[in-house]
Amino acid sequence: MDELTKTLYRRFGHASFRPGQREVVEDVLAGRDVLAMLPTGSGKSLCYQLPAYLLQGSVLIVSPLVSLMEDQVEQLRRRGEKRVIAFHSLLDAEEKWQALASLAEFRFIYASPEMLQSAKFLTALRRVCISLFVVDEAHCISQWGYDFRPDFLKLGEIRRALGAPPCLALTATAPPEVQEDIIRTLGMDGARRHIHSVDRPNIALCVEHCSSTEDKAARLVDYAKRLEGPGIIYFSSRQWAEETARRLDQCGAGRVAYYHAGMDGEQRLLVQQQFLYGQLDIVCCTSAFGMGVNKENVRFVLHFHMPTQLEAYVQEIGRAGRDGAPSLAVLFYADGDRAMVQAVAEAELLSPRELHNWCQRLPQGAGWEAAMAALEAPGFTDIQKRLLAYFLEREQREMPGWLTAEAKGRLYGRMAAAIEARRRWKRKKLQEMDEWVNLSSCRRQALVRAFGEELTGRRDVCCDRCGLSLDGYGRAVHRPEAAPVRHWREELWDMLFGEGRTNEAAK
Amino acid sequence: MRHGYASFLLAHCLRRFNGERMLAAVYHVFSGKKSAQTLQDSKWFQLEPLFGTWKNVTMAALEEAAMALVEQRLALSAKQRTYTLTAAGEEWLDKHAALFPRHLNGWRYHEAEPLFWQRLSLIGQTLSNLVHGRRFAPICRDERTLQWVKQYLLAKGSRQMLAKTLHQELVRLLEAVSEEAATIFTLRLTSAVRIGWTMEQIAAHLQKEALYVQFQFRNVLHYMMAEAEVGRAPMMAELMSGLAPAVLTQSAQKTYEWLRKGKTMEAIAEIRRLKRSTIEDHIVEIAANVPGFSIAPFVDDEKAAAIRAAAQALRTRKLKEIREALDGKVSYFEIRLVLAKEVGRWTS
Ligand SMILES: [Zn+2]
Repeated sequence: MDELTKTLYRRFGHASFRPGQREVVEDVLAGRDVLAMLPTGSGKSLCYQLPAYLLQGSVLIVSPLVSLMEDQVEQLRRRGEKRVIAFHSLLDAEEKWQALASLAEFRFIYASPEMLQSAKFLTALRRVCISLFVVDEAHCISQWGYDFRPDFLKLGEIRRALGAPPCLALTATAPPEVQEDIIRTLGMDGARRHIHSVDRPNIALCVEHCSSTEDKAARLVDYAKRLEGPGIIYFSSRQWAEETARRLDQCGAGRVAYYHAGMDGEQRLLVQQQFLYGQLDIVCCTSAFGMGVNKENVRFVLHFHMPTQLEAYVQEIGRAGRDGAPSLAVLFYADGDRAMVQAVAEAELLSPRELHNWCQRLPQGAGWEAAMAALEAPGFTDIQKRLLAYFLEREQREMPGWLTAEAKGRLYGRMAAAIEARRRWKRKKLQEMDEWVNLSSCRRQALVRAFGEELTGRRDVCCDRCGLSLDGYGRAVHRPEAAPVRHWREELWDMLFGEGRTNEAAK
Repeated sequence: MRHGYASFLLAHCLRRFNGERMLAAVYHVFSGKKSAQTLQDSKWFQLEPLFGTWKNVTMAALEEAAMALVEQRLALSAKQRTYTLTAAGEEWLDKHAALFPRHLNGWRYHEAEPLFWQRLSLIGQTLSNLVHGRRFAPICRDERTLQWVKQYLLAKGSRQMLAKTLHQELVRLLEAVSEEAATIFTLRLTSAVRIGWTMEQIAAHLQKEALYVQFQFRNVLHYMMAEAEVGRAPMMAELMSGLAPAVLTQSAQKTYEWLRKGKTMEAIAEIRRLKRSTIEDHIVEIAANVPGFSIAPFVDDEKAAAIRAAAQALRTRKLKEIREALDGKVSYFEIRLVLAKEVGRWTS
């Protein structure tokens, strides 16, 4: 056993690397910049967690999602790692003020990109020897990332401010133009690229063309009842997710729950954990569900509405079959879906009229802060605010000074153009998705081509266009019943004294 | 129950408001709005139990509940957005009195409750997994709670003993509430063998409304916290450390401190750079919340007696009506003070 494998075994309990991991780890240890595109569920986080034990100093990990960060911190702590800390909001900074003073003691420092905008935090980081600068979900860096995160665009500057430590950019799905964006933004020109195929051979692909929304709903229910679970069903609206969950529950499709960002944090975590621990068969959800859900045996992923772009689709179906066993992805499509999905995708974009009105209302002759403050006016969604704030900052750099009538006019013109560009780009991505749905040739081939690859060889099981039998995905005849709920006294007894012992008190 | 739990809760508020407040006032009580008006309303109309107990309530939900009451002739719409119960409504409310969560004390516990529950559920999950010898992912992600629970368990030593103590205390507390409430509470707990159920899952299981389940659950939590505070639930008392609620809002507390140092209202307004009306709000809040606080320095006895008499004769707590009845010789501040002090002594 070589040194690397020994460390892998000692720290993580794995006897060998998974495909792709070793090459990335070796390049990172050699101090090279690395762009790694590894499929979700392939153990991406090991690519920086292992080097952290072999490098001097601390590893800084920038991660876009609080829940994702929490999951990883949680996993590290469970493995006995104490030198780990996470910062995700300014509130933390206050609470963890003391930790800031002794930041160098931590082996893993997780931070949201928003946190890195804080001067106080950055000053503390500069006193730390950062041996590796990790950007997780690096596709967010691209201005054309499907989840617009302006704070990600500034990570290049921040890396330089920290003395340009070696950089590892991790992503699961990034088409060539996004890969270029990542490399440019982070200033990692000579980076080694480890690009693994987006193709997941064990996931069969299928599109069901339906005559109407009602037809779609009926067929989806039919599938969900017949397929072997556990499974995830994606919707583009909360109401649809909730309603379908109820419908599936009523028709005996198994133990079903819904999940979306409108629920409070505790209820969301409960559903996620229930799914993870096998208490649920099906989760009906929006795209809010999935990141950080490391469940190996998901057997199917259904889409009641198509996602707004192929990248999102690849990510979402990628939650199936992480154990390598045969799994199924079915997308349901009916006429009118495209318009509906387009409306959802463009909800973040102000119309020219709304933008014009907003610009008009800005106080004449005021400074740029007034424009920033005006974003807090009610009526904007979070993502609209994020988008407008980003454009505003850019314009402020371009034309400093006061908001004269002329400046306001120019501001409107430039912001309208930026929004229009984003709208066009979104339409293009949706067009791509739509074309894939209506394809007459192999779906797998088209999917990998969108990511700049070619498929080599033929798969035994591929897609509906190549011919697909659903026989192998049906439910086993007998499915174990859910454990019945017992009297609360017995439940409490089981909880705190363990099963199998008789509860004398309850008799 | 035919009309939905939201209608039941609303009917309870309508009875207390007696046509003197609009629907929005109900909304503010449920959502726990920290305005002087809502704080006083909660006191005067004895709606403290419900204060802040339905944080995500919407006006739409209340309007729908009101419509349901009107359709069933249980309530009337007197003026715009103001409703009163009919005789049938009163009767209906009495008949279902048992549905009211009787331990609910939102006034005192609505702020402490989320953290208390986080601590309790995380300790339950941790002890359960230690007893079962399993690894687990914590069901709570709040750093403050994670740290607190860690410290607590470290300080406690024997896990087996603690599990036993928790079991005994929970059984004793749950025996004092209804079987249904005990079931709801237990199903919400996460253990080594079962991840806790969501409100909706419990509601489906019991074939009740989610809102009803939520209030029953909260009822149990508030009962546990109250028992902890009177010293009958030692472990729960430990979980409440640092969470015991303040009686006054922070700003009113400061004003109270200055008053006790002998400063006048004018002086306090000056020192604190606040408007006189704000200081008045504080004093009304203090009068309503601090037992033994004398209002004599702010309203003379004769006037106080006149206000009391007028309020009783008119059977109203509408400031304007009382003031008119006394030919405008008393100020709104004086009326509010007297009414704040009178809370609980007479009810409609
Ligand atoms: Zn194919």
